[in-house]
Amino acid sequence: MSIDYSIETEGLGRVYRLRENKKKKDQPKELIALSGVNLQVQRGELFGLLGPNGAGKTTLIKILTTLLAPSTGWAKVAGFDVHRETIKVRPLINMVSGGESSGYGLLTVRENLWMFSQFYGIQSAEAYRYIDELLAAFTLSDRANTKSADLSTGLRQKMNIIRGFMTHPEVLFLDEPTLGLDVGASRDVRAFVRRWINEDRRRTLLLTTHTMVEADELCDRVAIINRGRVLACDTPAALKHELQQEAIFNLDVSAMNGHDTAAFEQLPGVSKVLHTPLDGHSKLEFILAEESVLSAVVNALTVRDVTILNLTKREPTLEDVFVTLVGRSMAEEEKAGSNGNGH
Amino acid sequence: MNMRSFRTAAWLGWKIESNWTDPFLFAVYSVVKPLAGAAILVVMYSIITNGNFTDPLFPYIYLGNAFYMYVGAVMTGVSWAVIDDREHYRTLKYMYVAPIRIPLYLMGRAVARFLTGSFSVLITIVFGVLFLHVPIVLSEVNWLLFFVSLIMGVVLLALMGLTLAGVTLLLARHGDYLGDAVAGGLYLFSGAVFPLDVLPAWLRPLGYAMPITYWLELLRRSLVGSVAQAFPTLSSISNDQLLLILGGMIVLAAVIAVVTFRYCDKQARERGYIDRTTNY
Amino acid sequence: METAIRKNIGWRLFVQTILGRAYPRVVGMSREKSWLFFEIFLPMLSVSAYVFVYRALKAPEEYIGFVVVGGAMTAFWMNILWSMSSQLYWEKETGNLALYIMSPANLMGILLGMALGGMVSTAQRALGIILLGSLAFKVQYAVGDFWQLLLVFFLAMTALYGMGMMAASLFLLLSREAWHIANLAQEPIYLAAGFYFPIKSFNFWVAAAASIIPLTLGLDAMRQLVFPSGALLGFLTVRTEISILVGLSVVFIAAARIMLAKMESLAIREGRLTESRR
Repeated sequence: MSIDYSIETEGLGRVYRLRENKKKKDQPKELIALSGVNLQVQRGELFGLLGPNGAGKTTLIKILTTLLAPSTGWAKVAGFDVHRETIKVRPLINMVSGGESSGYGLLTVRENLWMFSQFYGIQSAEAYRYIDELLAAFTLSDRANTKSADLSTGLRQKMNIIRGFMTHPEVLFLDEPTLGLDVGASRDVRAFVRRWINEDRRRTLLLTTHTMVEADELCDRVAIINRGRVLACDTPAALKHELQQEAIFNLDVSAMNGHDTAAFEQLPGVSKVLHTPLDGHSKLEFILAEESVLSAVVNALTVRDVTILNLTKREPTLEDVFVTLVGRSMAEEEKAGSNGNGH
Repeated sequence: MNMRSFRTAAWLGWKIESNWTDPFLFAVYSVVKPLAGAAILVVMYSIITNGNFTDPLFPYIYLGNAFYMYVGAVMTGVSWAVIDDREHYRTLKYMYVAPIRIPLYLMGRAVARFLTGSFSVLITIVFGVLFLHVPIVLSEVNWLLFFVSLIMGVVLLALMGLTLAGVTLLLARHGDYLGDAVAGGLYLFSGAVFPLDVLPAWLRPLGYAMPITYWLELLRRSLVGSVAQAFPTLSSISNDQLLLILGGMIVLAAVIAVVTFRYCDKQARERGYIDRTTNY
Repeated sequence: METAIRKNIGWRLFVQTILGRAYPRVVGMSREKSWLFFEIFLPMLSVSAYVFVYRALKAPEEYIGFVVVGGAMTAFWMNILWSMSSQLYWEKETGNLALYIMSPANLMGILLGMALGGMVSTAQRALGIILLGSLAFKVQYAVGDFWQLLLVFFLAMTALYGMGMMAASLFLLLSREAWHIANLAQEPIYLAAGFYFPIKSFNFWVAAAASIIPLTLGLDAMRQLVFPSGALLGFLTVRTEISILVGLSVVFIAAARIMLAKMESLAIREGRLTESRR
């Protein structure tokens, strides 16, 4: 029995040519935004793409939504090639980006949404009916006749999200959709997304995020992407289960007195140490091969006159999965990326 | 702080204006646009007078049109910065939050347009002198009068631009440049391309009330005194009197600019227009 | 919630696209009316200035009529430049362009919608200049064949908007140059198309070359049809000009279709649709 894939890619890659900087001749001439991406997303799946800023998530979305041609490989959405059959793909998809400012400020929320519905061939009566339904679902009904220029960032983002669902897409791409939303609104969006997928298993949703909680809570499967490559792809539970062999401890300690955490990583059974210096004290996170290694760690700290203020064990998260795969946290990876290091 | 705001704004304006990826295209733009504008009038003149470029009316029209390019350039430079920063770059709100004087910032942004406008004016005049017998003789030019008039005119235009910038704070972004539209409208009353005597009697007072009229007259007198003398419209007014009138009008323009900008600025803040987008 | 709904395709979708995109233009103009001053009243003054230039030159009265008609037609050229072609640049900058391209809507429909919406102000500007200019300057008209005049106008507009769509396709690839190019295209077109003087004044080959711009022959034919001495100052006969306009319409519309598709494809390959190189 053949599996019905909503999204399929093979060897997908994208290279950008960079503008020549005459002052910095040793700068690279091209940027590899994506490389060798192989994905298969089944119909009815809520699929997550998790990675730091600059990982290639948006580039992948742009290719899948026919806005960007791949440099290598191919991709299919709803069974059609995104590069060669764009006309067949477009009626079946939609996309929402976080922080976008689509539409026109002088139009009301309802008018903006109606306008976009027309580009998908939806008849006005049906469009208005569904728009009103979605406005209610996102608690935006009372602002339906407000000009979008008068909305706050968060409310405008809600309008954008409604724009994505309003056209009844078979495959919906959400690129950091909760950017700009408060905690409550983000929760509402996540709840709606889950309901939307569950209502009709012909629908597929690909969500990109750099928020672990979002990926963990929502997604059936998650692909972790970094520097244009997919490092792992599985259910959140399975990804974390790999780490469950290991034990993760958070320690709040007094100042490190100049001691380097590299010394702790030399201890047998210590996989990784993450150090966050704070005001007058430090936070250390140890990923250990097994619990029994903890005593050696405590001993090593005591010998160096480092006092343990607090110690907790925690369950692995997708962030830990990322750290294990990449060697540093997402925040560190983003920082390294912006400094031009480590590429 | 004030000079720093102005200088930084001028630098920014230049960065934006000169951000062409193709220098050749920039060169074409800088030469073709002003010459095409002048050519319309040259062709119109040539058809009717059978190419009689020695008549004093021709340099009157030609020089008036050439320097009038400053009107659109400077006014647009000041006022368009509001639209550009508000709608396009979305930085106007940050400028408002910063400890700078917004009017100075806007005027600084116009410096680049003034420079590109100067290039256009120069190209047009040089072309006129070389190919169309515009009778400018460098040794006979009253350079002091020319530069004083030019500087006064640019200050005047910057103030007018500031008034327009204030109004722009309250307007949506429609089509093309508002500065150009206003310049186009004032073209009728400024004696730029025809003496004010040609206007119907009931419209002439508007021309006399327009400071640009006196500015252009001063520039013509400084460059080609004989041409200016050929037209009686302002011939009874001496150079010093013209300078005095222009100076007084600049002061008036400054008062209008400050009052208008303050009022519009206050209105824009009350209505929340500083960071709105109105593109449609 | 329902999931299966009917979505129009083909010409129905095309019409919906045009109306959908025209809507924000029409509504935007009705909600913020300052354009009445800046895009109608001020241009009328500007056109009047050219009338007075002719008066200063003591030109024959028909030239005044030429300026009034030509000035009215500048409205359509401005609509092409600013409401259509370079508007794509703004759409790209604001992120709407990507959403349009991603939708099943045809880009030609989007462009036509922009132009149609802009027609509200364009038509008012053109009519305002014709009516007020004719009254103020006592322009005398002698319309011979009204239907022929209408045909000329329709063909000129069709060819012009086709050309505008071709130009718009280039704007898919451009960044800030788009804005400068639109700005650059004002005066040279006014000159070449003879907005303020009969194109016959040019050398034959110059006039012939300028005839690639639909407004050149359109304006020339319209002047011949509405002014008593229009035929004397016409470049080619009205019939010839109509034939050429038909050809231009077909060529430009077909070329616009091809170029829009090609430029879109190129922009997608180069990643230009969503860049913001300001």
